Amino acid sequence: MSSFFSVPALTRGRDRLRGRLVSAVPAAVLVVLVLAVASRQPSFVGAASMRALLEGAAPLLLLALGQMFVILIGGIDLSVAVLASLGTVLLATWLPSAGVLGVLATLGATTLAGALNGAVSAYAQVPSFVVTLGAMGLWSGVALTVSGASTISITEGYDTIFWLRDLRIGGVPASAAVAIGVILLAAVLMRTLSGGRALHAMGLAERAALMSGTRTQRVRVLAFALSGLCAGLAAVVLAASQFSGAPTLADSLLLPTIAAVVVGGTAITGGVGGPLRTLVGVLLVVVLRIGMSVMGVDPSYEQIVYGVVIIAAVALTVDRGLLRIVK
Amino acid sequence: MNGDCGEEGQAPALELRRVSKRFPGVVALDDVSITIRPCEVVGLIGENGAGKSTLLKILSGVHQPDSGELLVHGEARRFTGPRDAARAGVGIVHQEQSLVASVSVAENLLLGAEGSAVRGGVYRWSELNARAQVQLSKIGSSIPPTARVDSLTFAQRQMVEVAKALSVEDHVRTPPVVVFDEPTSVLDAEDAEVLFAQIERLRTRASVVFVSHRLDEVLRVSDRVYVLKDGRCVAERSPSEVDVQELYRLMVGRESTGGYYREDEQGSVSGAEEMLGVTDLTRRSSFEDVSLAVRRGEVLGIAGVIGSGREDLCRALFGAEPVDSGEVRLAGRPVRFRSPADAVSAGIGYIPAERRFEGVAMGLSVGDNILLADSSPASAGPFMVPRRRRALVSEWIERLRIRTPGPGTDVATLSGGNQQKVALAKWLLSPRLRVLILDHPTRGLDVGAKEDVYRLVREMCERGLAIILLADTLEETIALSHQVVVMRDGRVAARFDALPGAKPTQVDLVEQMV
Repeated sequence: MSSFFSVPALTRGRDRLRGRLVSAVPAAVLVVLVLAVASRQPSFVGAASMRALLEGAAPLLLLALGQMFVILIGGIDLSVAVLASLGTVLLATWLPSAGVLGVLATLGATTLAGALNGAVSAYAQVPSFVVTLGAMGLWSGVALTVSGASTISITEGYDTIFWLRDLRIGGVPASAAVAIGVILLAAVLMRTLSGGRALHAMGLAERAALMSGTRTQRVRVLAFALSGLCAGLAAVVLAASQFSGAPTLADSLLLPTIAAVVVGGTAITGGVGGPLRTLVGVLLVVVLRIGMSVMGVDPSYEQIVYGVVIIAAVALTVDRGLLRIVK
Repeated sequence: MNGDCGEEGQAPALELRRVSKRFPGVVALDDVSITIRPCEVVGLIGENGAGKSTLLKILSGVHQPDSGELLVHGEARRFTGPRDAARAGVGIVHQEQSLVASVSVAENLLLGAEGSAVRGGVYRWSELNARAQVQLSKIGSSIPPTARVDSLTFAQRQMVEVAKALSVEDHVRTPPVVVFDEPTSVLDAEDAEVLFAQIERLRTRASVVFVSHRLDEVLRVSDRVYVLKDGRCVAERSPSEVDVQELYRLMVGRESTGGYYREDEQGSVSGAEEMLGVTDLTRRSSFEDVSLAVRRGEVLGIAGVIGSGREDLCRALFGAEPVDSGEVRLAGRPVRFRSPADAVSAGIGYIPAERRFEGVAMGLSVGDNILLADSSPASAGPFMVPRRRRALVSEWIERLRIRTPGPGTDVATLSGGNQQKVALAKWLLSPRLRVLILDHPTRGLDVGAKEDVYRLVREMCERGLAIILLADTLEETIALSHQVVVMRDGRVAARFDALPGAKPTQVDLVEQMV
């Protein structure tokens, strides 16, 4: 490139460098964290422990990916974990009679519920925070009603999903392989599809996207529908590992999904980020959790740590250079 | 009372001595020295990227110089921020207005300087309004302090800004400095006159720094003019010794061509078929029974004052605002656009006046912006083809001479002119584009970038596009258009043919506008 040494080229080099640094920090922190835990407990880096880690991480990987789509367009989905809980209940109810169809119906139902969030937000112009806060209560209630407020064990239709728990793909539990596969697929599609930048454009400059002919309302519905689909996938993985569905099974995962997305380097204000950063973010959150138990921290402190991590990660990554107004 | 104006031997009100400011990879200001004497109007001109904004940010305390000195009335200072600059007597009238729209004029004027007008966290309205009235009287404004800002016209709001900027004089004993950043770029000719009168008034008690792209205005109001180019101060002139051409040459480093608007390149459109036609289009409380037509290769200029409905009409044609009745035809077929997306897929493009919010997607790269409207030329089926994408983006960067470090650069870091070219490229690359609506395409652009836009308009006509133009000035409207429609109070008031050599005059249009 002829202009490489000119002044603008230097600017670009710096921008790129900074961009790379920002996206490399979470990965670097992850490595440090793994080494720190391993120094206390060397068996942590062993195959058995890694398998357990990945298996435990699978639901969070899927939920955080869903959360990422919504955060990327500048919204937030507070209902994603509750929707996964509802998903486990639906799956446990339908699986014995419907088998594979039950799985598809569960995915369809959660996707539809997500799309509904998006539609209300897009067409009735209600902020996503409000819509999904309401939806959180709504779907939680539906899950409690459908399940009779109790855990439903899965005894029949067992084979349809339990391969997720028992099968190993290249040494990796199938559930984790599926979750990582979905994340990679999302990353590839967002990079190669013609409209793949629409989510980023929405998050950065919705009016500009609109005035360039982007169907912004549809993109919004799509982002929430994808979040719903991810919640459904997470429900299947969770139900497989727990042999059951329960109305609050995934509820505690809401805070970790947001923590994972933001520590991975997706901007809470939208427009910047992606699936791979979310993958790193989830691993960070999971290793943090394991690290805490290795250090002997009481598990009841977990939520406290997630809360602090979210605020700290956002505080560290928000671009304050522009003196923007925060609401 | 502040110090008197015009005394001999006074120290300059504000002085920059050999100031440099570097940003990573670019020298924004290089050894710049300027002097602003008490009660003097100093003009500051330069192309986009010449360093004007950086200079203003140093004057207002937003940036600190890397080297060099800033002196206020002979005393070296280092501003820690805009508040500090205000306390030293430097007030800014911002280009993008900085008032809070939903509260009163008085609250805005005293925002952050309420003092005894707030007791126990509660406004004492009588004192607040009285103090605001003092500020407004200083500039001879009749705007009531109790008026809500969003009930004021744009020009009135600017007067409030002027009063607010001038209020810095309460902090100092010496004449303050009021800086106007591109104050006329969004004003009508009439409102601009009011502003010039205001500047005349101000000079009896303050120094004024006037930054503008409009060289004739700068010559008119300034006692001295500094020319910035590529971060350096290349000339200092007195208006009596230069004319617009000379200033232009100093600013861009080349001669202004006589064919500024390229009128000789205006092609004939006689016999060309209608591309976009409108019959009796109505949107209640915006425009009524508007009929017009624009042909292949034709520029249709729409003239009108603020409130004439021409902006709303254009947004409605793009599907960004609904219409109540009437018909729109595209290439002879009736169409109805419910969203901009409908209009875009039918082949209509739109360059919005709000470039920073609607024209380009800030934060997205130049390449992504260029492909935001139609990525089909770079795609195969639903997928982008990286090789085609690269080729297409660099082709358009080259064709429109977009000055960018590369296709991956954030469009927000480009100058206004280059951002506008990115917005244009986004539409021009689309093979389905048939009509382009230009809503103030040269707003806020410097002379060189304007020329590029004019050249592109001619090229687009040659390609057979139909163009609807809402221009910044009447001169621009007349020179670029084949046909001019004047709108008044939401209706078409007059139509003029504007063939080369037989153009209507500005007076012709103004008579119909008001």
